[in-house]
Amino acid sequence: MIAPKKITLTIDGKLCEGDAGQTILEIARNNGVAIPTLCYMKHLTPWGGCRLCIVEIEGSPKIVPSCTTPAMEGSKVNTKTDRLVSLRKATLELLFSERNHFCPMCQLNKGDCGLQHQGLAHGITGIRYPYLYPAMPIDVTAKYFGMDQNRCILCTRCVRTCDEQEGVHTLDVAKRGIKNQIVVDMNGTFGESTTCTQCGACVANCPTGTLFDKANAFRGQLASCQQVLTTCTECSVGCGLKVFTKESRVVSVWGDPDSPVNKGHLCVKGRYQTWADPRERIITPLIKGKPATWKEALAAVRKASDTAKKAERALLVAPRVTNETAQTIAKLAGKIGRIASYVGSNEAAFVAKPEHSANAMVKLPDADAIIIIGGQPSRDNGVVAATIRTTVRKRGAKLFIFLAPKTNLDQYADVIAPTPGQEESFWNDVAAKLAGFQRPAVVCGPDVTTADGKAVLARIAKMLHGRSPLMVGVPVSANAMSLACSGIVPVENVGAWLAEKPVKFLHIVASDAPDGGARLLEDAAVAAQLKKAGCVVVQASYKSALTDAATVVLPAAIWCEKTGTITNFEGRQLPVRPVLAVAGEAREDGTILESVFA
Amino acid sequence: MSKTPVKKSTKKPAAKPAVAAAAPAPAKVKVATMWLSGCSGCHMSFLDLDERLVDLSKLVEILFSPIVDTKVKDMPYVDVGIVEGCVNNTDQEHELKMLRERCKLMIALGDCAVTGNVPALRNQFALKDCLIRAYEQAESNKICCIPNDPVVPKLYPKARPIGEVVKVDVSIPGCPPDADTIWFALTELLAGRMPQLNEKNMRYD
Repeated sequence: MIAPKKITLTIDGKLCEGDAGQTILEIARNNGVAIPTLCYMKHLTPWGGCRLCIVEIEGSPKIVPSCTTPAMEGSKVNTKTDRLVSLRKATLELLFSERNHFCPMCQLNKGDCGLQHQGLAHGITGIRYPYLYPAMPIDVTAKYFGMDQNRCILCTRCVRTCDEQEGVHTLDVAKRGIKNQIVVDMNGTFGESTTCTQCGACVANCPTGTLFDKANAFRGQLASCQQVLTTCTECSVGCGLKVFTKESRVVSVWGDPDSPVNKGHLCVKGRYQTWADPRERIITPLIKGKPATWKEALAAVRKASDTAKKAERALLVAPRVTNETAQTIAKLAGKIGRIASYVGSNEAAFVAKPEHSANAMVKLPDADAIIIIGGQPSRDNGVVAATIRTTVRKRGAKLFIFLAPKTNLDQYADVIAPTPGQEESFWNDVAAKLAGFQRPAVVCGPDVTTADGKAVLARIAKMLHGRSPLMVGVPVSANAMSLACSGIVPVENVGAWLAEKPVKFLHIVASDAPDGGARLLEDAAVAAQLKKAGCVVVQASYKSALTDAATVVLPAAIWCEKTGTITNFEGRQLPVRPVLAVAGEAREDGTILESVFA
Repeated sequence: MSKTPVKKSTKKPAAKPAVAAAAPAPAKVKVATMWLSGCSGCHMSFLDLDERLVDLSKLVEILFSPIVDTKVKDMPYVDVGIVEGCVNNTDQEHELKMLRERCKLMIALGDCAVTGNVPALRNQFALKDCLIRAYEQAESNKICCIPNDPVVPKLYPKARPIGEVVKVDVSIPGCPPDADTIWFALTELLAGRMPQLNEKNMRYD
């Protein structure tokens, strides 16, 4: 890549250097000259709508928005003349008069609101225009967030986020003039929207209280919260999280903008499901459903474990525990008995021989053709799906989907084949459509390990031969690949695995799985084996049907209380940092396993 | 407020607006405060000046106020009029306009006076619907009829911030404004300057 030409210009009397093609705003900010903005956001297409970033360029009678105006060599730019300040104040006054901006009734009122901040910074006390007090709709039909149009300033940051980051374009602007407003789909609601993925990126990017998280209502202003960076353990992507906490509670979870994996974007799992869903936490050990002390619980567990022979003991691990817990298990393997991690369907073979696709999340947007085989990123790995959608919609890549049920990615695909056959005419057509792409990427899900999947993969590999495609394998389970590397066997059919040998002592590490491990009981064979086993110990954070069925329940720490690392599908080792103190008497997974088996 | 008559406190209001005349003891600045559609929180915040009220009383004389036991029949002519709350009915508009005529400088104190705030939430609805909700449907209301006595002032279809009714010279936003903000604004005015409020010394919430 050719280095961009450097240019120099004067902003507010300060000599500033930047690259040719950069806007005045970018160069000013990079050089420490503050220009107020409301609609501008890094990583989004400049919009030039709020008119707060206006500047004067000497020699030109016009006032220009600095966020959309490319800087020119040698120009002299002024950002704080009396005329500009008075225009900015008038703009803010018009914004305040247009909708119902009543700060006392807004949860973003103390330091979180961009409009309030700009109003205060510009010394706006009262406004000169009559307030319009329009009757605006409020949409609280979404599960995790709401939209109060009374507070909207039409900066379209949400529209651009939805379009450019999540790539679904649920939000848009409708109507003209004073009736201009943000709409969901075709003027519908979030609740009935089929396109909205509930990723909540629009909420994080809204400068006012228009889009707000329901779960953090009045838990405290984000500006007053502590921020801790950690890693999401809900799927194998390993997105960076910025967790806001106050008074030992999670107030909100945003994406970490500096994370190379997700670049600040999250899916509904990481953004909301870990903390905004109501769940019953287990914070004390339970023996047959009755609260007990750790001493009593461990004594009961040890007694049961000692009465069983080694071959009669089994340990089932959720594929979401940290690498450190996996190492602890590997260390204790000699004392435990049979060990396995329970993974999703078709995942065992998929993660057994891990092939990390290094830097896949960075390389994927550069692909010109994306071929999905046997995976459902929009269900399992939301941020991968968002990356694929934006790459297809914004960068013109072509999308091919094989061996996957219908998802919201289908509408962008050139070829959709949920059950591809062997007809040569079909495959010739695919080969013709794939011809000419120089940077293809193949995104594989667990179903690629089936016979059909292997056949499709073989055909695609043959077609792309010589074009060195980017091969990406994205498992569903968070840390299954790393567990497999540590020697813990991935198992799909848990019932059959348990039935291999009689089990007298079964220890299940469900850890902080949102369902509390209840997924295991969906298989009737497992439920039957659980009944047969003499003692079932469940190590979990949340109450579920599985913990109800357990002889002893040991309370485990959750995602925001753990310390350790996880390895994502790219092979990056990502830190899981403790955000909060461990609740109640819960303990970390590794510590519990050590006290049970060591 | 008790209305025990105390003879010595009867004070006649100045017939004319007092001009700051050179005198051995400088004339106190005459102030009136008014409570329109608001919750009185801004007056409470004014009282939160605490010991500074003592300093203020050396420079300022409050002639008319809901928090002062004044013995005046008519609204006095003053230097500064401070208004809390917005204009909701005919009576409030009348009082506000009268104060505007009789004061030299008018301060809108608090968000209700400046933006309409809570009383203006009803502006999104028809007045009749608001009255029906409040007097006929409200769970707590057992009277079940909309007051129609001619003595009761008539509500306007929309609540208006006072700036839309009369000219306002100084706006102090806040719900309520901090005592420190009020103190800053008053001391600046007493020093002969217009208060310049910014992010450091004011808030909107």
